[in-house]
Amino acid sequence: MGYLRRLPRFEYLAPHSTAEVCAALAERGNEAELLAGGTDLLLQMRRRETSPRYVVGLKGVAELSGIRPRPDGGLAIGSTTTMHSLLSSPVVREKYAVLAEAASGIGGPELRNVATVGGNLAGALPCADLPPALMTLGATVTLQSSSGERTVPVDELFPQFGSTVARPDEVLTTITLPSVPFFSGGAYLKFHDRQSMDMTTVGVSAFVTWDEASRVFRDIKIALASSAPVPIRMRKAEAVLRGRSYAEEALEEAALVVCEEADPRTSWRATREFRFDLLRGLTKRAIRRAREQASPTIGESS
Amino acid sequence: MKQLIPITLRINGVVHEILAPPWRTLLEVLREHLGLTGAKRSCQEGQCGTCTVLVDGNAINSCLYLAVEAQGKEIQTIEGIAQDGVLDQIQKSFVQKGGIQCGFCTPGFVLATKSLLNANPHPSEDEIREAMVGHLCRCTGYVQIVEAIQDAAIQMTREGAN
Repeated sequence: MGYLRRLPRFEYLAPHSTAEVCAALAERGNEAELLAGGTDLLLQMRRRETSPRYVVGLKGVAELSGIRPRPDGGLAIGSTTTMHSLLSSPVVREKYAVLAEAASGIGGPELRNVATVGGNLAGALPCADLPPALMTLGATVTLQSSSGERTVPVDELFPQFGSTVARPDEVLTTITLPSVPFFSGGAYLKFHDRQSMDMTTVGVSAFVTWDEASRVFRDIKIALASSAPVPIRMRKAEAVLRGRSYAEEALEEAALVVCEEADPRTSWRATREFRFDLLRGLTKRAIRRAREQASPTIGESS
Repeated sequence: MKQLIPITLRINGVVHEILAPPWRTLLEVLREHLGLTGAKRSCQEGQCGTCTVLVDGNAINSCLYLAVEAQGKEIQTIEGIAQDGVLDQIQKSFVQKGGIQCGFCTPGFVLATKSLLNANPHPSEDEIREAMVGHLCRCTGYVQIVEAIQDAAIQMTREGAN
């Protein structure tokens, strides 16, 4: 974990617009860290895991924060929107409940008042709770630099442990959620040792779109936290269930495929084998819960 | 690298102008530059809650907040909670219900309670416990703290009604 010292020295830059952030990164991106909430970065700096020459503070960039509905029925979440603001949004709680469920389990109120949605992604930690929830919602992020912007699905944001595909001159500005289909619903379940204020041992997000007429899984997305070097989608397990009716055997089959696709590590927190046991149980439970959310007529045929 | 920069902070309604390096946390500035030692330094990683202060009414961990980023915001510390020497109702309730023993965690709990009751004047016991997850107390076992917060909520509702 490393010994906590005072913060290392740095020069602090305080841009007021995204354009100013991009300009600062264009010039100094290789020697700079972006500071949003700071609940991860400041600790990493205290442990001397990173000692950037420049710290670019994002708290003063008003346009990076806030939640706006999109014309296509989706939602645009500014990257420095705090977990608290996310949870205070009625549209997030009603239409994107799986995201609210994931955010509500992060830290306590003091941390959620400063920790940001973008920071939870850009930190690229395998134990982050929002990436799996966002993956199952089909979210994309916008990466902006002074030479333009590009859109990247959250699925493709994490190429390897501890990093994102963002270049040093890019800033994550927006998280975009597509509109949610009818008869859909999600659940994020995580296991951790303590009741609260703990890191995720494993987390499972499931999002089900239910075919109410044929009574089968029209679509399903599953993604995991702390189950591989990066937050990860479970495409093979999803394929197992797509088009299938709801039955315990189908869930069991999907859970076993999740255990084949996942690649958890043994750490002081839990062994690889224990994480597989957790995944098998939580996957089934998350799918059941997501399917209950998706279909109002739950229980009639299952 | 600029060593010292001017930082203007509004704390408990008073404006303080100091020179400090940008790598100073709000907690370090409160304690070491301004002598406001109510907020305590303990875990330094956002687990224990002893460094809690209010920024624009919201409880935050001042050990994870740069002083330079607290400019332009309304900062409240435990020193600003009592008015003219008269304890705030939350402080009175903590004293009366035995929610305070050694006192090290108390400023954090009192400010977290203030933040909670601002947003939710009638919290359930579960909501109180959920709001206090970021605070550790090694003396009380938390039961008296929960009772103190419940008492504060009741007394403040009565005050508001009168």
